[in-house]
Amino acid sequence: MNILICGVGGQGTVLASKILAESAVIDGSNVARTGETIGMSQRGGSVVSHVRTEGCDSPYIPLGEADLLIAFEKCEAARSIPFLKKGGKAIVSMTEIKPVAVSLGVMDYNSEAMERCINEHSEAVFLNPADNEFLQGKCANTFLLGAAVGNGLINISENAVKEAMKRLIKPKFYDINIKAFEAGMKACQE
Amino acid sequence: MKMNLLGNAAIAMGAKAAGVRFAAGYPGTPSTEIMETLSKTEYAKNIHMEWSINEKAAAEAAAGAAYSGQRVLVTMKQVGLNVASDPVMCLAYIGVKGGMVIVVADDPGPISSQTEQDTRAFAAYAHIPVLDPSSPEEAYEMTKYAFTLSEKIGRPVILRPTTKVCHASATVEVSDEVYEYNPDGFVKNPKWVIFPPLSYRRHIENFKIYNTMEQDDCEYNRACAAPESKIGIVTGGVTTAIVSDVLRDLDLKIKRLIVGRPYPFPTAKALDFAENVDEILVLEELEPFIEEQLQRIIPGDKIKGKYTETVPTAGELRYENIKNIICGFLGLGERAETACVCDVTLPGRAPVLCAGCPHRASFYAVKSAVKNRGKKAVYCGDIGCYTLGNAKPLETTDTCLCMGGGVTVAQGISSANPDTDAIAFIGDSTFFASGMTGVANAVYNRHNITVCILDNRTTAMTGGQPHPGTGKTILKEDTVKIEIAGVLTALGVGYVKECNPFDLEAATATAIEALDYDGVSCIVFKAPCIAVAPKPCVYEVIDCIGCRRCINEIGCPAISLNSDSGGNAVIDTQSCYGCGICETVCKPGKIHKAGGAV
Repeated sequence: MNILICGVGGQGTVLASKILAESAVIDGSNVARTGETIGMSQRGGSVVSHVRTEGCDSPYIPLGEADLLIAFEKCEAARSIPFLKKGGKAIVSMTEIKPVAVSLGVMDYNSEAMERCINEHSEAVFLNPADNEFLQGKCANTFLLGAAVGNGLINISENAVKEAMKRLIKPKFYDINIKAFEAGMKACQE
Repeated sequence: MKMNLLGNAAIAMGAKAAGVRFAAGYPGTPSTEIMETLSKTEYAKNIHMEWSINEKAAAEAAAGAAYSGQRVLVTMKQVGLNVASDPVMCLAYIGVKGGMVIVVADDPGPISSQTEQDTRAFAAYAHIPVLDPSSPEEAYEMTKYAFTLSEKIGRPVILRPTTKVCHASATVEVSDEVYEYNPDGFVKNPKWVIFPPLSYRRHIENFKIYNTMEQDDCEYNRACAAPESKIGIVTGGVTTAIVSDVLRDLDLKIKRLIVGRPYPFPTAKALDFAENVDEILVLEELEPFIEEQLQRIIPGDKIKGKYTETVPTAGELRYENIKNIICGFLGLGERAETACVCDVTLPGRAPVLCAGCPHRASFYAVKSAVKNRGKKAVYCGDIGCYTLGNAKPLETTDTCLCMGGGVTVAQGISSANPDTDAIAFIGDSTFFASGMTGVANAVYNRHNITVCILDNRTTAMTGGQPHPGTGKTILKEDTVKIEIAGVLTALGVGYVKECNPFDLEAATATAIEALDYDGVSCIVFKAPCIAVAPKPCVYEVIDCIGCRRCINEIGCPAISLNSDSGGNAVIDTQSCYGCGICETVCKPGKIHKAGGAV
């Protein structure tokens, strides 16, 4: 299974990929691999995390081979579309984070075109931060994982993800993240 | 026990299993998490760990412990090895008693570095064995092996992971056992003193040892048979793993040589591999290191790689590159990309200074001072988050060379351009690492420069490590806090002032004063990184008139234009960190502190 997580540095994509890898192993995978963006890009740059289980020696998903895209931001979703398999699934937060160059008028942020591109190339579930409070804060990552599990888009059990969260999230933030995860599961089933 | 470990964490666990007793390093992407992971283990409480002031100090301190029989670990990024090269080159001659493993993380791309230098080539030049892991699992095993090898030959060993091993994770089988031994302490012996006659003898010895190792059977250099194959592929590092994926996906059986210990080069195995093979493709990132080694021992034009322009000479080798190179090499033609193409032009998203970052305020204050004086100015930047001051609209990085280089480059700029203010910006951790000598040079040689030390109380770019100015060690213990202003005064700087960059008016006045000063002037801009300070409040825009001054002056990522309301500025309360400089620059006075809870 190949899952690509993308977003903007600081949104918490690295934790999301760690949780996925951990839960895959809890659910019985022999090996889980991740490839992270750690470094300068974490200061508000584009970031991607690759998550793969079984059948691979390298953690990096080839273009056109991702089964699922989990996007924390709309523009970054469009940027990562080439990683998706034809007709691959996507969970996309409609959050818009405009680069400073857009505010300065040097570049355009064409929200509608991005949405069209995502729709054209994937089976996407869009989640609006206006309707989902958790998407606006620090728990967007666990909320989106909930959405992926709740929609049956990843072959990982709810219990495995919760166990992984217990192992990887600091106790003081655990409860709120479980709430976010559960809200994500419901948000999708509705 | 099975654990999902980042490559860097696997190296830390390997060092622990090997019984490391002294671990020192300087933070640098992609190496930082090795020391961080080790420092968070229970095991760390019983050994010595330190973030050293720089890589040279780390290597030297570790050498002393290794002379005394302890197993030692030193970590750095590739450019850190340049700083440590003096002790490391000499250690190749002097050797060690306890195993010494120097981890140097290379960064093909480069992704977060100044250079694409290759530590394999450095290791060969220095005559130090080097191991090149292809995955986190292998990094764990190789780290343990590196300590054994170092003790066997009585010399340091370099482990050279690259970014895509350091920052990849895998499920690794980790042992709880720790290697037990009793170091006998430092024993006096003339062999620890590097005099020319000793160096001469050791150079001969080293050549002999490593020449012999070229014939050995190191488990990390291995051939994969494919009886029918008339061609061979040679790889090292993460490229080995990616080639395995590509060959599996293309269902190809090809003879392979995997070079996990590139120096000393496995000459015997390579010659054996090359027999009955018509052509050899070498796939490696950074320098054509393996390629050159093969050319040394295999005559003719069998070898294809960077010199034959078969393989790119810079950047990472991704799956797609490798697949296309292999298909081209085998005459299978270019493989059509199956990936969909997004026809929308997307805005690029380069990293930026965070909302609320004190560096933005410091840059803005100095820029305002320069404007006020009406004299030309050159901004000499340095290595850290503040390199991001180069972007619009701040544009306060005209030069950036290497760690600590801004302070000294400014001296040459000032000398060659007397009509220009030469201003250096340097972070607090970088100042301790290699800025202090530059300041002493400026004072001694009577240069006329202004040095701005951006003291945010942490090593921010690499994720917030403590340094000599923070009063904390890597193990979070209290220690002496070295005051930067005191250091500057002791170095003989005639003008030293501390100020809070968020008090823009006072900060600008101080900058004017410092620039007016004839000689070396230093300002210590003190305000904590948002990663180590609580968020005090957020700001909001009320009745914006759309003048865009806030956006055009400071470029804060929390401020954007609201397309629904005709281009008015809007502040995202999630990312706003309450620094308030937008309030100061908003001339119409429409930005205010927001009420209510943060």
